[in-house]
Amino acid sequence: MLLAAAPPPQPPAAVSATLTETDVRVTSGFRGARISLYGAVFDRSGRPSDVVVVVRGPVQTVRIARKMRVAGIWLNSRPVVFEGAPGFYRAASTRPLQDIARFGQLRKLGLGLDHLAIAAPAERRVETRYGVRDMVVSALGEDYYAWRGAVVRLKQTAGLYSADADGVTFVDKGLFLARVDLPAAAPIGQYTARVLLFQDGRMISDRTLPLKVEKVGLERAVYLLAHRRPWLYGLVSALIALGAGWAASRAFRRS
Amino acid sequence: MDLYLPIAEMSVNAPLLIALGAAVGFISGLFGIGGGFLMTPVLVFMGIPPAVAVASLSNHVAASSFSSVTAYSRRRMVDFRMGGVLAAGGVVGAILGVEAFRLLRLLGQADLVVAVSYLLFLGVIGALMLWESLGAILRSRRGEAAPPRRDRRPILLYALPWKMRFPKSRLYISVVPPILLGLFVGVLSAIMGVGGGFILVPAMVYLLRMPANVVVGTSLFQIVITAGLTSVLQAGRNQTVDIVLATLLLIGGVLGAQLGAKASARFRAEELRALLALIVLLVGLRMGLGLFIQPDDPFVLVAGVG
Repeated sequence: MLLAAAPPPQPPAAVSATLTETDVRVTSGFRGARISLYGAVFDRSGRPSDVVVVVRGPVQTVRIARKMRVAGIWLNSRPVVFEGAPGFYRAASTRPLQDIARFGQLRKLGLGLDHLAIAAPAERRVETRYGVRDMVVSALGEDYYAWRGAVVRLKQTAGLYSADADGVTFVDKGLFLARVDLPAAAPIGQYTARVLLFQDGRMISDRTLPLKVEKVGLERAVYLLAHRRPWLYGLVSALIALGAGWAASRAFRRS
Repeated sequence: MDLYLPIAEMSVNAPLLIALGAAVGFISGLFGIGGGFLMTPVLVFMGIPPAVAVASLSNHVAASSFSSVTAYSRRRMVDFRMGGVLAAGGVVGAILGVEAFRLLRLLGQADLVVAVSYLLFLGVIGALMLWESLGAILRSRRGEAAPPRRDRRPILLYALPWKMRFPKSRLYISVVPPILLGLFVGVLSAIMGVGGGFILVPAMVYLLRMPANVVVGTSLFQIVITAGLTSVLQAGRNQTVDIVLATLLLIGGVLGAQLGAKASARFRAEELRALLALIVLLVGLRMGLGLFIQPDDPFVLVAGVG
């Protein structure tokens, strides 16, 4: 990563950052969380620096269907599965991403909603075509970009995907601040916050910080029981319901 | 005060949900119905995933029906034998319904089937009830007597095999029609998140010709068993029962139901029925509306894998 053109050997620019909170706890009163990321750029050369902060949630398979009109009724098509899409994605930067780096660079690093890597649909067929065996044919074909765009758009509407070209601000020389708002619907799991330093359209340095969103207390106990011992959970909740019904009828008979 | 629902994975306003439970409870007490058909659509409009709404509602319906059935049983207004036969069909229906719903979710067609079921069943039953009760109101205004009820029982009840005596209902009929009726209602309750009283009660009156005084109690008895089982199956197979949601609705629902039952004494039966018919019809049409209007976005996220 050393710059070849610099005559006096300068140490390469570097970035360092920290999160105000590394453990977001989802309790019964959870309404989302606001996390701040502070960081510093170490650079003696004084060249203009750009910082991009990408927060990604755990990977969640997305299933999406297209509505089609059949005999006057809107019906869902067969769902298409997109794998590898993060459950939460936020790209914040000091400037619009296309001003910071070139298309190829952004695509390689998966920066921004347009370049976010979402794996091709799983609904594929393997068949013989044009005399060539085992060709992979995506069922979506040319529609692929419409579907991929819809995944991002629907996630944006749900507040789970966002991009903010002013999301990172330099508060002092070399010191920057980024805010990350997690909505209440943000998925539970392991997140990463990646901080990238760009100079002259190239990535000079990066840091990855872990961030965890987890349920605690009663919410966690209920969630775990419901998913690990679903039948026991079902029986217990049915008994609670019957018990509550019985208690209610007793209470109102007396009064 | 916001509360996070652990299974629905969203934050809801707790007092609003309790008030909603009370409002629906009041309506169900007023009309002597379960109210699931009203609650499920409201929860869906609030943004709760339909699968979670349907499954949690079956838990809620089991609780509220149990609280009412004890009152009916004290007054000896439950035909337990008939209820047991209905429930036998209901158990099979619930199992089939939960499996069918699971399959529909995987195919991405659950929303469609829910919307069509609401439009079809609530639309038809609401329209029939409205027609019948408006006729009754008009007749009473004009001072005419009600037309004599045909007392001939359908031959099918007697022609089919496996006849059984139901002393409480003063019937000696084949068990096939009640089992089929229970099965049908069991499937519907799993798919629509309702108790199914709106189908059971008219069917028991007009098809099985049961005496009016045991109809509501017996249908509630069958609903407790079917809804209780549906709730266990939904939790076990689909992990979609949110006990926090069900409990919140229950708190308001129990209070509302008692107030509604007291208020019902102030209204005339025909007028209440006409009002209920109107509500049923409107809910059915509203749920079906989405099938015909063009969606804002042609793409939809389909929830729930596995």
